Amino acid sequence: METIQLDVLTISGAILLIATFGIVVTRGFMDWLNAYRYQSMVLAGVTAIIGYVTGIWEIYIAAGLTLVIKSIIIPKVLTYVTRKLEIEFKLETNPYVSIRASVIISALLVALSYFLIQQIPFKSDQIVNAYLPVSMAQFFIGLFVLVNRRTVLSQVVGLLIIENGLFLFAMALTHGVSLLIEIGIFVDILVGILISSILLFRISRTFDSLDVGKLENLRDD
Amino acid sequence: MDALISNLSILFLLLPPIVGAGLVTVLRKKRTIGIITICTASLILIQVLLLVSRIVSEKTITAFGDAFYVDSLSAVILLSISVVGFVAALYSKNYMGRQYDNGTVDDKHIVRYYQGFNVFLLTMLVVPIANNLGIMWVMLEATTLVSVLLIMLYFKENAIEAAWKYLIIATVGLSFALIGTVFFYYANINANTSEDAMNWTGMVHHAKLFDPNLVKIAFVFILVGFGTKAGLAPMHTWLPDAHSEAPTPVSAVLSGVLLNCAFYGIIRFHIVSSASIGPEFSNHLLIILAVVSIGIAAASIYFQKDMKRMLAYSSVEHMGLISLGIGFGGLFGIYGAMLQIVNHAMAKPLMFFASGSVSQKYEAKAMSKIKGIIKVMPVTGILFLIGGLALVGMPPFNVFLSEFIILSSGFKSGQFIATSLVILFLVVTFAVFLRHLLKMIFGNPISEMKKGEMGKLAIIPMAVLCSLVVIFGIYIPVQLQTLIQNASTIISGGGFA
Repeated sequence: METIQLDVLTISGAILLIATFGIVVTRGFMDWLNAYRYQSMVLAGVTAIIGYVTGIWEIYIAAGLTLVIKSIIIPKVLTYVTRKLEIEFKLETNPYVSIRASVIISALLVALSYFLIQQIPFKSDQIVNAYLPVSMAQFFIGLFVLVNRRTVLSQVVGLLIIENGLFLFAMALTHGVSLLIEIGIFVDILVGILISSILLFRISRTFDSLDVGKLENLRDD
Repeated sequence: MDALISNLSILFLLLPPIVGAGLVTVLRKKRTIGIITICTASLILIQVLLLVSRIVSEKTITAFGDAFYVDSLSAVILLSISVVGFVAALYSKNYMGRQYDNGTVDDKHIVRYYQGFNVFLLTMLVVPIANNLGIMWVMLEATTLVSVLLIMLYFKENAIEAAWKYLIIATVGLSFALIGTVFFYYANINANTSEDAMNWTGMVHHAKLFDPNLVKIAFVFILVGFGTKAGLAPMHTWLPDAHSEAPTPVSAVLSGVLLNCAFYGIIRFHIVSSASIGPEFSNHLLIILAVVSIGIAAASIYFQKDMKRMLAYSSVEHMGLISLGIGFGGLFGIYGAMLQIVNHAMAKPLMFFASGSVSQKYEAKAMSKIKGIIKVMPVTGILFLIGGLALVGMPPFNVFLSEFIILSSGFKSGQFIATSLVILFLVVTFAVFLRHLLKMIFGNPISEMKKGEMGKLAIIPMAVLCSLVVIFGIYIPVQLQTLIQNASTIISGGGFA
């Protein structure tokens, strides 16, 4: 029983990482959204596993909310608002670091997060060991995606990955910060996505581009 | 009975902005919704004054079980929110009215503006009174979202760019703060298993049992996270954009109050961390960030060409000073920092209001195009001058007093290098800021302009703030003094046990 459970933990953690890498290696916004959707589904499953292991019923609700909000509503909203955008806006053609190098950097980030987690004095248990490094890796890769890409859309995706990492982090380490706060965080994300959708639309209209490099009017000189 | 009164007073504090936002949504008339918002803000002000007077005598109030916890520290922040919120609501009526007449905004925008303004006040009010640090985080993130909506009210390119940068940077920053919060929570559930593990009161209570290494890591995350939102350098890059592109009343609230709310988050965790591993660790970090902030602000003000951006950088400088005071520690330094929070919350909105009126009159924000304010609009010019003099720390105005206290506490605590660096930067800021200011106020207007102010409702809020700036330079009311002293005791670790 013990080993089977461990396998489930390891495999689900691995799937989460693979989904994160799916965002790193692809160029199109729709691919990112799909990767994010799969990642969120697995995350909901992982959350349910944590709920099962710890026996806290609130975690199942958080898992359900993750499934509904992150793997259904958010991808739907983003697909809807970007449906009219021209296709070249949705493609990342010229990231600062090439995709090949990005994969290597992301792999290094994963190694770094395993290393960092070992340095911090956590009480070691199965869940912490399995998921905490994964969550850190998601956080770092999200940050990397956010700064490496030129399209505004990928900044949204970067934020979403970071947030998934945070959610997993809180789940794995403390089995969730109480349900009330989690609902608050979900509301924040939803509203944040709605606002960024409006902004995306306005940026594409006003600047006729979604290139971050175009957003450089405000300077001090 | 006592608990009932506490519950009611919190309820009456949070109800006006909710009802106000609702009424604005329903009524939608330009004149009416402006007045409704002024009513909301004045009700909040009255309620806060009542609450604060209770805090002065009772020190702490808890409400709805221990969901809300108000002490002197929260009261200082609440005071600044309510005063600035009130004057900003007053100023909004005139300012947004003029923007409407210009054709910059239409009816829909005005409704959206006042909805946003009310909700913005609500989210900020919850931050200092929530006992649960998770709720505090959620509300701080909510303030980001609402203020982004307020900044992107205008369809201008610059406003959109500023809103986007602010949204992304502040959200990423706050995600660091959330990690820090979870770390503290983890440290607390490891130390005890009671139910209040996420509450600030619970954390302070058990802080001695926390794992020191965890606390250090956690505090670094907190400082980076809330520091981003509080505009501490080098995480301040979003601030000048957002504060200069927002509608002027919103700039005033962002600069004067929202930064305080974020800094309040740092202070709360600073207290926990000090109670756990002693104050040295967090003090050092705060001092380093403070010196960097003040230095970068000085350099940026030197090269500045835009009036509102200059004011925004001055906010970075003042947040640095607050951080410096807390970092120097000791009752004296912390007292100075708390006083600085209050003083900055009066002087900076005054400057933003004045600059808003000026830029509406001149239809420009570039300082090179603004000359001879005192000839074109004498009253605003004088208020602008006083505000500016206060802001750079000229005696006898209020900011001088708090800066003096902070710097002398620096020498007292033996931080000679940091203090002398800061004094150097402050001298530079003083000279440069004044040069920019005097060039705008005196001289002759570039083109012929009609003489005249921007209306009574624009002058009154400024006059109120200006009189506060002058009075507080000479005399601080006894109640406020007690309040700030109590808050300083809490921060230096004597207010709980």
